[in-house]
Amino acid sequence: MKQAVILAAGEGQRLRPFTVTKPKAMLSIAGKPILQYVVEALAQNGIRQIVIVVGYKREQVFDYMGDGEQFGVNIVYITQERQLGTAHALAQAQDAVQNEFLVLPGDNLIRAGTIARFVASQPNAVLVTKIANQARYGVVITEDGRVKDIMEKPKEAKGNTINTSIYAFNRGIFDFIGANLDIPDVLNDLLARGYAISAQETDGLWLDVVYPWDILSLNEAILRQIPPSLGGSVEAGAAVKGLVSVGTDTVIRSGSYIVGPVVIGDNCEIGPNVSILPSTSIGDNVVIASLSEIKNSVIGDDVTIGPGSIIQDSVIDDGCVIKGRFTACSGQAEVRVNDDYHLLATVGAMLGAGCHLESSVVAQPGVILGNYSQVQSMKMISGRMPDRSLVF
Amino acid sequence: MCGIVGYIGDRQAQSILLNCLSKLEYRGYDSCGIAVTTDGVKVYKDAVRVEKLSKASPRLVGTVGIGHTRWATHGEPSQVNAHPHIDCTGKVAVVHNGIINNYRSLREQLIGEGHKFVSETDTEVIPHLIEKYYDGNLEEAVETALRDVEGSYAIIVLRTDEPKLVFARKDSPLILGLGDRENFIASDVPAILGYTGRVIYLEDGDIGVVTKHDVKIKNDGAKVTRPEHKILWGVEEAQKAGYEHFMLKEIHEQPRVIRNTLGEYTRETDPLADLAVMRDADAGAVLILGCGSSYYAGLLGKYVIEELLGMPVRVEVASEFNYYSHTLARTMAIAITQSGETADTLKAMKKLKETGCRVVAITNVVGSTASRIADQTIYTRAGPEISVLATKTLLAQFMVLYWLALSYSKVDARRLASLFTGLRQLPSKVQQVLDSESKIMECAQYLSKFEHIFFIGRGKNLPVALEGALKLKEAAYVHGEGFAAGEIKHGPLALLSRQTPVIAIVARDNTYEVMLSNIREIKARGSPLIALAEEGDEAIGELADSVIAVPKVDALFSPVVNIVALQLLAYYTAKERGCPIDFPRNLAKSVTVE
Repeated sequence: MKQAVILAAGEGQRLRPFTVTKPKAMLSIAGKPILQYVVEALAQNGIRQIVIVVGYKREQVFDYMGDGEQFGVNIVYITQERQLGTAHALAQAQDAVQNEFLVLPGDNLIRAGTIARFVASQPNAVLVTKIANQARYGVVITEDGRVKDIMEKPKEAKGNTINTSIYAFNRGIFDFIGANLDIPDVLNDLLARGYAISAQETDGLWLDVVYPWDILSLNEAILRQIPPSLGGSVEAGAAVKGLVSVGTDTVIRSGSYIVGPVVIGDNCEIGPNVSILPSTSIGDNVVIASLSEIKNSVIGDDVTIGPGSIIQDSVIDDGCVIKGRFTACSGQAEVRVNDDYHLLATVGAMLGAGCHLESSVVAQPGVILGNYSQVQSMKMISGRMPDRSLVF
Repeated sequence: MCGIVGYIGDRQAQSILLNCLSKLEYRGYDSCGIAVTTDGVKVYKDAVRVEKLSKASPRLVGTVGIGHTRWATHGEPSQVNAHPHIDCTGKVAVVHNGIINNYRSLREQLIGEGHKFVSETDTEVIPHLIEKYYDGNLEEAVETALRDVEGSYAIIVLRTDEPKLVFARKDSPLILGLGDRENFIASDVPAILGYTGRVIYLEDGDIGVVTKHDVKIKNDGAKVTRPEHKILWGVEEAQKAGYEHFMLKEIHEQPRVIRNTLGEYTRETDPLADLAVMRDADAGAVLILGCGSSYYAGLLGKYVIEELLGMPVRVEVASEFNYYSHTLARTMAIAITQSGETADTLKAMKKLKETGCRVVAITNVVGSTASRIADQTIYTRAGPEISVLATKTLLAQFMVLYWLALSYSKVDARRLASLFTGLRQLPSKVQQVLDSESKIMECAQYLSKFEHIFFIGRGKNLPVALEGALKLKEAAYVHGEGFAAGEIKHGPLALLSRQTPVIAIVARDNTYEVMLSNIREIKARGSPLIALAEEGDEAIGELADSVIAVPKVDALFSPVVNIVALQLLAYYTAKERGCPIDFPRNLAKSVTVE
């Protein structure tokens, strides 16, 4: 295979507030958007002709991926104006593809090893993997390496081999899309007409993020694989231990204690006397003032965190300004997404982009604060708050 | 003002030249042409865009070639006036960027000597002069010919079947690109970046020869070596990558540009520039010079430096400054020029240096002429800007001026700390403006029906009003005009009617109240009024017909978010009106004529 189509048009509505400003594929894990992991996995397997189907918030993709040169690939963009489904998305790319191509979702985090064998597959083929909790995914029933049936999110457990949504197709597939909106339906059509689809299994990394707190587990899984590096400076009296990656021009001031696995971006100012504990990712242009502790959290770009803050198991999106003594301790919480309630054992706060928090704000475990919200001093925030909330 | 390119190597020159020319089109695009040689000189040129020429041209075989894309200064755009130009024998071909001031007398003289001219251009004298002096050595002929010439030039010359290109530079930009068994010559780096990242910047007075293996440069009769640079920006930055227009792409790059700029400046332990005079408020005023958008950046610099340092600043349009009668003894001048090649600004810089003034340049192009004249250069790190309209480079200029002012500011420590925090928020705030594009698009659809649109601002948002109007002119071909809000009632108010929408830029500073009354005045005349204001401003919401809301920032930084909103407004208005946008009629990116 020389070419791949990446479907990155989807919104990821359940990941709000983080997907209000960017598509799901552009969520940042350990300092890189999920889409970048996909592109890099392809490049490392020798696939450099890439078509990306974009839609929702596509400028975020254009701005970051550009024409792919930076990642050693050549990218062509196809726009899916309305996000109607994966088959519909694929159909948009019909004029851009060669004879054989891989299809991958842009919002599942994979590594080169995940698809290393699959890139040599003959169409039509689907990549499957075994997973512990399969209730959220499409299940694939296979026999002798052939697909017998594909079921989207079945009610009863039917084995734990699931569809990674990574396929190997040839141009023939476009004849079968028809009115189908999703690719599994297209495959079931193929099967019904007696066509063979082979199934290959991988035990490589394949991670999905559906809810805001999933970002933390993906972050932790990936951070373990990032080699240490020092692009900035570490003042005397600061300690850096384990797998820690520090970006260019970042300063770690005295008395700070950084324990890996941790990734810190460029041009940050950490400390003095700041503890960053595993597994934490910090973006670019971030300031964390003295006597703060950040543990197992994901902090975006351009964030300022005031002194004496405690942040655990939390996700803070780009551009937040948080004055001193912000407390987001971890704890048990019941979090609502759409009409479902999820019980989480350890979760902190999830703050959308551009929030302004005055000093001494306390965040209840599991709080989701919408983008561009403002919170006055000494307030407690809890539950789920919409974008542009004002807490006085 | 034009773009020129030359190639010599093992490959066929034609497609390489056309490819490079397409990247040079922002320098001029009313006509273009190429000439190649191996077995005679073959020329193909026309008054069309490069893409059209590529499709129409026959296959020209040759591994040595030159190319040109033109912005007419002498002679209207036409096939016969397009470059390359040749001599009577058709053996010498020349491409030229610049202006030959004494071309008329040279032309008369050459005609008297029997030469035949076909075009109206000044350039055509050059191949004929070379023909006249040619005696077996092309370099010597070019050198002698150039002694007769007065004016500015960057030229590349080829002669039939000779495996070399001769080049010369005087007051027009020219660079060399070094490859493997091949070499390039071009007006600027993006033209050849697809082929090589190794570049040599030529100096004024350089004249030399390029073969496929080496480069020889002379200056003033003596052999010189020029250092090789490795270019760090990739070709990607010079391509649209998903966006429909370079202008929109470059507007979207602004958060990253701000972040990079801040990164670079915070890294420096010493201040950005040694502006000793700025420490001492008793010193003479600082002078800032610029043209077009750079002049508006300078105007913002004035308000910001005066506010933070309490020292007087004077801002002048460079082309006018050059004709002022007084001789000033200025202590320091800041010259702002995106390309570093703006003729008006360079002339002013040279004039100031002669009076003993210290000159600091703010420019986006490393190694540009401005950086060579100035005592000190501060580079904006915006990457190449392909759209003729200045967007990210202007914002980067804003950032330099903010940083300079903050480094020397005299405000109290607490305010200063708060300002630095605010500065770090800017990438995010600008991104927020970009994320609210759809609202600005609606406003643009409304505005696209009008032919006259006025922009008003006060204080540091006056340059924003002026720049917003300029962007609208350039992008949408609409008569946008910026005014100081206080000046409207002294005349321009007579122009207002229902057919003249007014865009009022309202900042939460000491101009806020008086802007509200200006808005009431305008509403009383029936003009549609659109306010550009901080989100959540209810007073404005009630007064204005519609509001473009920008995120809350410290009033000092309001110009940053405001100008991004106006850039988008200009872009979408232009799109609605079906304008080409990136390469407007009659304009060129780097104005190297006065």
